[in-house]
Amino acid sequence: MSVGKVGRLMVLVVMTAFVVGFSWNLSYADGKGIFASKNCGSCHQIAGPAAEKTFDDQLKKKGPELWYSGSKFKSEWLRGWLEKPATIRLLKYNSITEKNSEKHPALSKKEAEDVADYLMTLTAKEVTAGGVTEASTPQGKNLFVKRYGCVGCHSIKAGAQKAGGASGPDLSEAGKRLKGDWVYAYLKEPKVFKPVKRMPIFVGIINDNEMKTIAGFVAGQK
Amino acid sequence: MIKRIFLVITILIGTAAFVGKGAVFAATAEENYKFYCAQCHGLDGKGEGVNAKPKAFGIDLPEMSVTPRNHTSSVDMSKLSDIDVQNAISDGGASVSKSSIMPPFGKTLTEAEIKDLTAYLRKLCKCKGK
Repeated sequence: MSVGKVGRLMVLVVMTAFVVGFSWNLSYADGKGIFASKNCGSCHQIAGPAAEKTFDDQLKKKGPELWYSGSKFKSEWLRGWLEKPATIRLLKYNSITEKNSEKHPALSKKEAEDVADYLMTLTAKEVTAGGVTEASTPQGKNLFVKRYGCVGCHSIKAGAQKAGGASGPDLSEAGKRLKGDWVYAYLKEPKVFKPVKRMPIFVGIINDNEMKTIAGFVAGQK
Repeated sequence: MIKRIFLVITILIGTAAFVGKGAVFAATAEENYKFYCAQCHGLDGKGEGVNAKPKAFGIDLPEMSVTPRNHTSSVDMSKLSDIDVQNAISDGGASVSKSSIMPPFGKTLTEAEIKDLTAYLRKLCKCKGK
């Protein structure tokens, strides 16, 4: 290949990288702008760290915090959900008596992609990739259902039906939504993500290996 | 010097125990009950919270496989000692040969909060422990 050809090829590569990078940046910037213009921040916290100290601090929040979205969610799911939102919490956010009948606002396909791209940039350093194998194993099910009674508050699939409690988020398709590595981090460092919550702290009760198995089981629910 | 080192170590251990132990703020027993326990035992303590009886709250899930304790029942509650109650709260149902669906709150609540909750349960049942 002549020097001229190599030069042209390099220019092409650099320009392609620039265009791809630029359009991604645009999408990110658009997503951030859409998030702001639709006032999503009135219900969703996007700047960490968590600052709640009392029940009231938690109870006055109107929706789940999103400041670690990129560590928590699977991007394809997030894009799809923002376009066609479906109920995850069976009860209204923060309530243990009122059914969740709220309709989350839906975005257009393009808006959903842009907002998802933006939210996926919000990460927490406590979540590290690769420690959890996402699979609905019998061991995981045993820990989740029998040993630690997680099913008391969280529903999962039981054959064609669902079974379990309603006060925690529905986990019957959690694997489409959640990264197993995040579930593990949430169990291991609960105060980082949600210092005040109705779920008990299991640090010092469930050992590290079991936490990984449970996280894998949750992320294996599809 | 040695005394001083001991003092520093004592303070450090004391602080670590305090920081590591559950609650970040002081809540009353009633507040704790309504935040944590009511999910299964109900806000009124009758054992009919949303996890126990989802359909009563308009949620299409089957009833819980076990019946959460009715804390207003003096007959049931007087069979348990205060220590039994504290152990169940702290270490979960399995620790007192009951269902593991009752999770352990020993890392969530302080010992003092668990004792206060036990006293609150005695108010709900209007009864004493055995």
